[in-house]
Amino acid sequence: MTALKELLYKIADDQLIIGHRNSEWTGFGPLLEEDIAFSSMAQDKVGQSYALYQLLNTLGEPPPDTVAFMREASLFRNCQLVELPNGEYDFSLVRHFLFDTAEALRFEMLIQSSHIPLADLARKIRGELRYHTLHANTWIRQLGSATEESITRLQQSLEFALPYALGIFEPSPYEDALIDQRIFAGEQALYTRWQEVVEDVLRPTQLSLPAWGSITPRLGGRQGQHTEHLTSLLDEMSEVFRIDPAAEW
Amino acid sequence: MKSDPIKSLDPRVGRLPQTDNPTKQPLDQFSTFEVFVQPAPGKPFRHEGPVHAPGLEMAYVLAKEAFTRRFTCSSLFVADTHDVHVFAPDEQALPTDDAASKAMTPSTFEIFQLTKRGKQSVQTGAIEAASPQQALALAHQQCTAMPYAFWAIDRRAIRFTASEEQDFWQTLPDKKFRDAAAYKGGEKLQRFLDASR
Repeated sequence: MTALKELLYKIADDQLIIGHRNSEWTGFGPLLEEDIAFSSMAQDKVGQSYALYQLLNTLGEPPPDTVAFMREASLFRNCQLVELPNGEYDFSLVRHFLFDTAEALRFEMLIQSSHIPLADLARKIRGELRYHTLHANTWIRQLGSATEESITRLQQSLEFALPYALGIFEPSPYEDALIDQRIFAGEQALYTRWQEVVEDVLRPTQLSLPAWGSITPRLGGRQGQHTEHLTSLLDEMSEVFRIDPAAEW
Repeated sequence: MKSDPIKSLDPRVGRLPQTDNPTKQPLDQFSTFEVFVQPAPGKPFRHEGPVHAPGLEMAYVLAKEAFTRRFTCSSLFVADTHDVHVFAPDEQALPTDDAASKAMTPSTFEIFQLTKRGKQSVQTGAIEAASPQQALALAHQQCTAMPYAFWAIDRRAIRFTASEEQDFWQTLPDKKFRDAAAYKGGEKLQRFLDASR
């Protein structure tokens, strides 16, 4: 696999799996307006994965539906953070914040990519991601300073999610090639920027971050090593498609 | 006797967290904020409806998807329902300043008019005034065709769309999946019926 394809697969798989997970809240959200907003952003993420699978398709990979619905878990390159079950809403919000901060910064960096179709896509979805991070940051600031219960819940979810969040930045075997070819400035550069933004958003809240160095990242997702939750997610997501993969929808 | 709950065929239902307190407290909703949408650059803002939210910024965030996820939008703003001052000329005397508003520093007020019952209030302009009451009285004075209601909102109470946020709606025209017609269900059904005839 080339450096470019590996990059596209991991981003696309992240977007598909987090999009599917977040869509599981549809109809169950904590208030009507939030149910609508969270569902709508989940659609955006699945749409972004589709655009990336289309780019892969132009590079010779199978069509988007095949790639999304017919691969087994070990072929997915998403980080483990996105496949974890939703749990309660505090965890989903914290994950949304940690993941979307990285996602928005990643695409911001990709606007400079030497792979023009990827740079074009990054520019196109900039507004979607700007909204997603506004949504996440506003909720985190709201609930991170609201009641004892909301602060405690977010703090616990934050501590649970952080090791997985650091797995977002698991280095690729192609880091040097991606940087040299100016396709992407690399996971380390992204991680540094992400830390700054996460700290900035949390600063006015009553939430506290552990020392970065004390967190052991949950790695492996980028190499196809996943928790058991990904297989059940894929079975559920692909159930209808796999009944008749050739059906016209 | 406690009966078994009906088992849902939706696998998500079985995964929902168990809560200790399933009974909802009455009247626990957040307060309301009014949402105003500009459908295209240069067009007036229209009142679209309310959202519930814990504050002005959250209201803006929630309003964006509640009211602008389908049709074209170039800008959006929200204000606390209490900050939308209303004057219905057929039903009320001309508004006069109260003690609180007399102490205000002058400001700019966005003015809306309701010209048809059951329709949306539409932005007609902005007025400099020392109070919402004065803004409503001035709007009334400047008006020739009398509407059912005037609305005045102090700009300082509004969460506007920032200039860098105007790309929020950039991809909206591509989101055909939110439009039932884009699935061409009727055409597909017709083809199926023709084929099975």
